[in-house]
Amino acid sequence: MVMRPVPWQTGEICGPDSAKSLTKAAQLKRDLGKMKKPLLIVGSEAVNMEHGKGDMIDYAIALSEAGKIPVVATGGAIKSFIEKGFEGAKSMGAMELAFYLQDETWKGPHEKGPHDMVLVYGIPYYMQWTMLSGIMNFGTHLRRITLGRYYQPHADWSIPNMKEKQWHALLDEILEFVGGGK
Amino acid sequence: MKKKAHFKADEARTGLGVFKGLEVRIGQVIDDEWDEPMGPTPMPGPTGLRSWDHKLLSKYHPSYMPYCQVCCLCTFGKCDLSGDKRGACGIDMKGQQARIVLAAANIGNAAHLAHARHLVEHLIEEHGPRTELIQGPGTEIHAPVSRLVTGMRPKTLEDASIILDYCESQLAHTLSATHTGQEGSWLDFESKVLHVGMIDQVSMEIADLVQISTMDFPQADPEAPLVDSGIGMMDTSKAIILAIGHNIVPAASITDYITEKKLGAKVEVGGMCCTAWDMTRRDPNAKVIGPISWQLRYIRSGKADVIVVDEQCIRTDVVTEAQKVKAPVISTCDKAVMGLPDRSDDSIDSIVEELVSGKIPGAYIPDHHKVGAVATKVALAVMPKRRKMKFFPTKKQIQKMAQECKKCSECIRSCPNNQPVMEAVLAAQTGNFEPLRDVYRNCIGCARCESACPNDYDLHSWMVVAAEEDCRNETFKVRTGRGAIQDTEIRSVGQPIVFGEIPGVIAHVGCANYPSGGADIYEMAEEFAKRRYIILTSGCAAVSAGHVRDENGQSIYERRGGEFDAGCVVNVGSCVSNPHIAGAAIKIAAIFAKRNLRGNYAEIADYIHNRVGAVGISWGAMSQKAASIASGFWRLGVPVIVGPHGSKYRRMLLGKAEEERAWTVYDARTGERVVTAPGPEHLFYAAETVDEANVMTAKLCIRPNDTGKGRSIKLSHYIDIHEKAYGFFPEDVWKYIRRETDIPITLKDKIHAQMKENKWKERTIPDPTLLKEMVMGGGK
Repeated sequence: MVMRPVPWQTGEICGPDSAKSLTKAAQLKRDLGKMKKPLLIVGSEAVNMEHGKGDMIDYAIALSEAGKIPVVATGGAIKSFIEKGFEGAKSMGAMELAFYLQDETWKGPHEKGPHDMVLVYGIPYYMQWTMLSGIMNFGTHLRRITLGRYYQPHADWSIPNMKEKQWHALLDEILEFVGGGK
Repeated sequence: MKKKAHFKADEARTGLGVFKGLEVRIGQVIDDEWDEPMGPTPMPGPTGLRSWDHKLLSKYHPSYMPYCQVCCLCTFGKCDLSGDKRGACGIDMKGQQARIVLAAANIGNAAHLAHARHLVEHLIEEHGPRTELIQGPGTEIHAPVSRLVTGMRPKTLEDASIILDYCESQLAHTLSATHTGQEGSWLDFESKVLHVGMIDQVSMEIADLVQISTMDFPQADPEAPLVDSGIGMMDTSKAIILAIGHNIVPAASITDYITEKKLGAKVEVGGMCCTAWDMTRRDPNAKVIGPISWQLRYIRSGKADVIVVDEQCIRTDVVTEAQKVKAPVISTCDKAVMGLPDRSDDSIDSIVEELVSGKIPGAYIPDHHKVGAVATKVALAVMPKRRKMKFFPTKKQIQKMAQECKKCSECIRSCPNNQPVMEAVLAAQTGNFEPLRDVYRNCIGCARCESACPNDYDLHSWMVVAAEEDCRNETFKVRTGRGAIQDTEIRSVGQPIVFGEIPGVIAHVGCANYPSGGADIYEMAEEFAKRRYIILTSGCAAVSAGHVRDENGQSIYERRGGEFDAGCVVNVGSCVSNPHIAGAAIKIAAIFAKRNLRGNYAEIADYIHNRVGAVGISWGAMSQKAASIASGFWRLGVPVIVGPHGSKYRRMLLGKAEEERAWTVYDARTGERVVTAPGPEHLFYAAETVDEANVMTAKLCIRPNDTGKGRSIKLSHYIDIHEKAYGFFPEDVWKYIRRETDIPITLKDKIHAQMKENKWKERTIPDPTLLKEMVMGGGK
């Protein structure tokens, strides 16, 4: 199991800039303190990813509520949020998001922007890779943090291919860091 | 029609004798029997339709997602283009990305165009340049794409050659634009992408037209035969010849030889990728084994006694793989010689002897007259010995080998679909092969897992062993390619399509790079067919659509008709048959709206974009050819959806629903600028899931011209699919309501509430056009 900050899919290498390795919640202190308008992007794979006693949709709800972070679900993940009774999520396509986020005046699907940070997970790895590349190159006003298990080089901070247990622990740590999970 | 022509032949056999080194230049070819007036843009150059392209590109913005931040195309570089940096040549990141898109579209077009050129040259040699081109009964508007783009209606192979001359000159121009120090604007790179896409449609139309005309293919036949398909359909008691690729000529040589020698009881021919379709179009006794991604699993099975490759989409390690199962390879095309010795000048018997004895792993035989005899004789000779050989390990052997797995995860990391290969191998250690079988079902057959494995496990073969039963059960009936759509069919559905009462025309095309198995194609096609959309298929997508049986054991092709009508599933054929889909849209403009086609591209594209609710879906798009095919549809204003892997084309073409100006059209009756709903909202879109693709498909069928009834039907489907997939009522329905009549009656209350909330105002339903000159009186 690779535990280094290298692209999880071996061919998906990138250019001169690549993400810093996120292994402790405290590393996000500066960004979370500075950035006032984050957006949490949750992809279709989150529906089938377990976390604790629930899944990664439950985690998104907890993170959103703790950090007052609006959620946008991609690829139909919205259905799961609705089934769980969470009303704070909106639905958009990952490709639409990659495009709209390049516009620094865009207020986001909840009209709470313009956003200055995105937290992302749950989109198929390669699609998240391309989406983040669009944002990195043309949406330079945004900080990009990925919370999936695998390293995404086009983020500013990315979890560096973690073992599952370790990853879940870090997610809980991040949740606690933004004031949730108690 | 006036056009300079140049015809050259190394050797031409005519009634007067044999001419060597013949070269004929004709100043003008005049089609004086055609009274349709010439439109404004016959044979446009790279900037001839630039103004139309810019209209589309101001509505649909390129959204780039670079693969890397450097340019490494010349020795000025590598140049770092990150941030707002420019390369040594002056190019910026957006320009570079657009340049890469153009390079891909050029490569794709080159493949189709070279294929078309080979067919035309071969057929002129076989049948003569004056051989008539026939699309089939009921196709008075013959070769609609060619006449729209070039102003010519190709009546003979000679005409086809002239049209290809034009295409080749255009490809040279658009390819040259990608050279360092040529084009610099992303907008003009993108315009050239659309141009080469249009040229690609012409090239493909010519390729299919000439083979339909001369090779006994179904001609615009809605009842084209149902043929056998699937690995389980191949009769292993016979010698088996596997043909892979796209070019019918060598494959036809094989089926013709078998027919002529009456060897059908002893030899079986199966194809993969588009050669499979074209073989069965010519000879319904041939079989469609599977799409492009089935190559490795079938070669590895060892069931193919001889492998014949022609061009495009062939595994480039085919010789290495074939050697593992002691199957000789015959390469037939100068584009894919595969390192094999050239045996074109040798006698058939001496080539057969060398291949059967194993002295050479294969042979390059560009002389198609020899291919049929060589392949058949070799297959018959090697078959008895080969049937005694075993090429796959047993489950017991796999279980033992799996014990040594290093648990490094490299197999997963290298899998395009992140399949749990390692977990499946670990399960195999205990004799549980079900997880490996599950991986097989979602596998695209690339074998990157094997390349990455430090133990050199033949992981793909292990999957096939685990899924042995699935392979045996791959027995389907699929309808082979019918070719063009008849004018009479267009006549009966043109009006309901343009008015929106047939809610859409959906084409499933392209490759087999599926995110989770080919059954997704069937699911999508069935979902919309049962809603009475017209479904078209071609290429590998057409194979996958047919590889699911319903509860009665029938494929979608057995259950649904092959006519161009609501609820039918129409397989047009191979990759080069795609222009029949574009052609159907073009013919709607000619037949239903009586618009002239000849050299009249922008007007017809404007008509299609605003009126014909067509959407292309290439769920497994992989190749540069898929990129050029999509580009041809974009220039006609037809949106294309790709699967999640399609995001790796690195550029979407997206609209902004809230940008009112982008959705403004001229009302052709009054010349007024009228705001319309954002439809179609996007021109190129990668969907993450089937659910998202279905919602987007229903939405992208909406057009400004829909009648009230048509809009109401389209919205009903959009809302229903959205609610099922996403679990809530879509929030943008009000944007698509122009008048009360647009509202689906059963959903009135919900929609009224949404309209009130958004301060909806009634709008006129225009006679929509993006072209000022289409306004009555010429827009002056």
